[in-house]
Amino acid sequence: MSFFKVCNLSISFGGLAALNDVSFEVQKGQIFAIIGPNGAGKTTLFNCINGIYTPDEGEVFFKDQKINGLRPDRIARLGIARTFQNIELFNHMNTMENLMLGRHLHMKSNLFRGVGMWGPHSFAGQEEIAHRRKVEEIIDFLGLQSARNQPVGGLPYGTQKQIELGRALASEPEFLLLDEPCAGMNAEEKQDMIFWIKDIQDELGITILLIEHDMNMVMDISDHILAINFGGMITEGTPSDVQKHPEVLKAYLGEEDGEGSA
Amino acid sequence: MKKKALLRAAAVVAMVCGLVWNAMAEEGVSDTEIHIGQWGPQTGPAAAWGSVARGTDAYFKMINAEGGINGRKLIHHMFDDAYNPAKTKAGVKELQEGTGMFAWVSGVGTAPGLAVRDYLMERQIPWIGPSSGSLHWIDPASKYLFPIYPLYYIEAKALVRHAVKDLGLKQVAIAYQNDDYGKNGVQGAKAELAQHGLQVVAEVPVEVKDTDMKPHVMQLRKSDADTVLLWVSPVHAVKIVGTSKAMNFTPQWMSTSTCSDFPLMMHISKGLWEGVIAATFAELPDADHPLLQKYQKDAYGKFAAKDERWGLFYYAGILFAEPLVEAIRRCGQDLTRERVVSELEGLKNFRGIGGEISYGPLDTAKAYETRQGMKEVFLVKCLKDGKAEKLSDWMAIQYP
Amino acid sequence: MLDFLQMLVSGVAVGSSYALVGLAMVIIYKTSEVPNFAQGEMALISSFFTFMLLEQCGFPYYAAFPLALLFAVLLGFFLEFTVLRRAKDPNILGMIAITIGIEMILLGLVSWKFGADPKTLPFPISPYDSIALGEVFISALEALTVGVALVIMLILFIFFRFSKLGVAMKATQQNDTAARLMGIRTNRILMFTWGVSSLVGCVAGLLISPITMQPYMMWDPLLKGFAAAVMGGMTSLPGAVLGAYLLGIIENLFGGYVSIEFKSVVAFAIIVLVLCIKPSGLFARHYVKKV
Ligand SMILES: Nc1ncnc2c1ncn2[C@@H]1O[C@H](COP(=O)(O)OP(=O)(O)O)[C@@H](O)[C@H]1O
Ligand SMILES: [Mg+2]
Repeated sequence: MSFFKVCNLSISFGGLAALNDVSFEVQKGQIFAIIGPNGAGKTTLFNCINGIYTPDEGEVFFKDQKINGLRPDRIARLGIARTFQNIELFNHMNTMENLMLGRHLHMKSNLFRGVGMWGPHSFAGQEEIAHRRKVEEIIDFLGLQSARNQPVGGLPYGTQKQIELGRALASEPEFLLLDEPCAGMNAEEKQDMIFWIKDIQDELGITILLIEHDMNMVMDISDHILAINFGGMITEGTPSDVQKHPEVLKAYLGEEDGEGSA
Repeated sequence: MKKKALLRAAAVVAMVCGLVWNAMAEEGVSDTEIHIGQWGPQTGPAAAWGSVARGTDAYFKMINAEGGINGRKLIHHMFDDAYNPAKTKAGVKELQEGTGMFAWVSGVGTAPGLAVRDYLMERQIPWIGPSSGSLHWIDPASKYLFPIYPLYYIEAKALVRHAVKDLGLKQVAIAYQNDDYGKNGVQGAKAELAQHGLQVVAEVPVEVKDTDMKPHVMQLRKSDADTVLLWVSPVHAVKIVGTSKAMNFTPQWMSTSTCSDFPLMMHISKGLWEGVIAATFAELPDADHPLLQKYQKDAYGKFAAKDERWGLFYYAGILFAEPLVEAIRRCGQDLTRERVVSELEGLKNFRGIGGEISYGPLDTAKAYETRQGMKEVFLVKCLKDGKAEKLSDWMAIQYP
Repeated sequence: MLDFLQMLVSGVAVGSSYALVGLAMVIIYKTSEVPNFAQGEMALISSFFTFMLLEQCGFPYYAAFPLALLFAVLLGFFLEFTVLRRAKDPNILGMIAITIGIEMILLGLVSWKFGADPKTLPFPISPYDSIALGEVFISALEALTVGVALVIMLILFIFFRFSKLGVAMKATQQNDTAARLMGIRTNRILMFTWGVSSLVGCVAGLLISPITMQPYMMWDPLLKGFAAAVMGGMTSLPGAVLGAYLLGIIENLFGGYVSIEFKSVVAFAIIVLVLCIKPSGLFARHYVKKV
């Protein structure tokens, strides 16, 4: 059984081929990185994976199940979560509520939920307590205690990125797509993020598909790398292989760190 | 020789004139047809009055079924103006300039009528029986306009006279729609009260858009009125009476002919209309009146749609067309607009299914006498079953 | 003083029907940012459907009213599913135009099917019996309306606060894309929203109809409900309710003390004023904290 596979994926917008015949396979447990300059089609690839876009051609398999063509909510329920390059949070809700929405797809109960409605001993109350416990774990894990009851729209950028990661984790995914998780962060925040990503892989056993511009970070934490440009695949392999590819060298080492961390 | 030539010439002239005469036959009339136009809201906020035009339609169909008038059939052109004066104007123009109407009959509403009055009068097209009791139709009077509907003004006078003289009520208030219709009522009520040395104790305007009648009722209640005249729409009237009942305010209610369709009023008021006194201008629906019964059998019975009701504002459509039909009949073969006008002017004490109708040769100083057709109403009281009790005989009332 | 009290009570009474319509509008606006101008006519057709069941088909109350509510919910579902969802490239203006189109179609349908004669809905309690609170009067129907409005507000409040669906609706409103990735079927949510909104509107219609019904009866409540929702900032349920009561009271006081002629203009003036001065709604601070 293959864990995750993309076959001959293509999509174009009004004549512009944003993705052209992209294929790759991710092994369970890997951190798989996708690199490429701005506009290469990386985010578009994510959007095709989780159903926001419908590819023109090609197929996407998750645990041997074809998932292209499914609605985003269905794909989410299969265990694929993601974060966005440009944060997509529920801005008027607080951190806790955002994370609880990450639990949404695990909530079984009936119409009305919660301790507030039925009391702590009811089934719904028990369920709610379990969900809250899970969310508390994540808050601890990411160090979000101080932001817990704040509306997230007003929080610092770095914190919002963390909350988005936390929300993705709250859904207990098997497969996590991270779109430039370190973009716009300072060195310290970046360090934390790298640390968490590794933990997510090691301790939670979650397979990660990562888009990142920071080559040092990518080379450091990835098990496997795919480089794309103009929607097409350039090369694929272990970090040390990919690093040697002339086009990657040209694109990155020439202007190292150019765009991503700006 | 000279004489012969002259005679011949005269004969030719006569012939030519005769031909031209025929060719110039009156607009909207042929040897077999008479085209008559009418507007009436079938949709929109006033669509409840749509039955007037349908009543006229059935009446014309009945006449045609009985052979028409002097060999001609009445061709009825009615259109839906949704009570929108702009649409009335457009529709009238289209029919007049497209098909060509001989005359116009009825037409619901003061505002729609005003929108086309000048158009019709300038072209000297007769218009008979606008369906509203507005003073506008005789002020100023026009040669080609023959209103029938008794003035709202005289309805108010008749009601107030009854309240003061017969019922001994003195504290008269009025709730009126804040437009021409309502204000005519206020004028009439004040004029009659003044004759008895009284004044209205409250005048409360109701906007057409208002739905909540509480503030209005509070003002009425505060005035301690023992009689309240309702110069509003049927729906507003029901709401005022109902809200008053809920607020323990129960004066003698009086209302215009607009709200005198008792079966309807009784139904939509859930029985609250019982005891209300109204003025009306046509025989009651179940009256022992041979002509009315004939219409019910031959016009309504044969030509009305399945769910049409035999109500006041259905046979009012007949009433408003009776004088025109009578005038056309009196014209004989020589059917022209001028002739119809002079036949109408010759109508004296004509009675169909309403009050007496008389006109006279146009005299603007005596507009009421020479152009207001019906000058009398009678009063009715609503009974438990929606039937009406006649409180008075026809009361002829002067204006001003 | 007594007058003043009566005006307050009357204001609350009439405000309750505005509140129901306002709530119905807010529910849809909250999730889709579309002011639904078909709201009034959706309630209208549901009310006439009830009229048909009671008056023409001879259904008993206990069957007709639940069926009416069911009809309203299905109507909401139907309109969202068959019309709004089909809108290609939806933008707010286009959506508003669509709701106005639906409005006219529904109005036309009712006028065509039921004609223009005023009617009245048979109802278990008389709209003209009243309850006297000392010298102050409120009709039994109004008292019922106030009660029903309060109960519905409470249910909606609990629903949005504590139900899974309520939270999902809130999420959909704030970020549609993110909501979908949380496993929320946003299409379903929208459809559901229309159903709930239609239901609340139908209740408003059913409480207006026992007095008189005619095709245009919902115009005024719709306008007033909309004004109330605007006062509350369009997205706040408690805001719309407060706005509605305030509007009802202002109208009554204005009619009583200032000018009865211009009473019906007050709502327009308020819409314009609020949009100019405080477009986020009069009670905005209140609700931002809450949400
Ligand atoms: N919805 C869309 N409509 C039109 N063009 C799009 C759309 N989404 C992405 N593109 C185009 O596809 C290309 C790839 O974009 P993207 O995937 O965002 O690049 P990146 O690799 O920087 O994430 C860009 O040229 C972008 O403009
Ligand atoms: Mg990108």
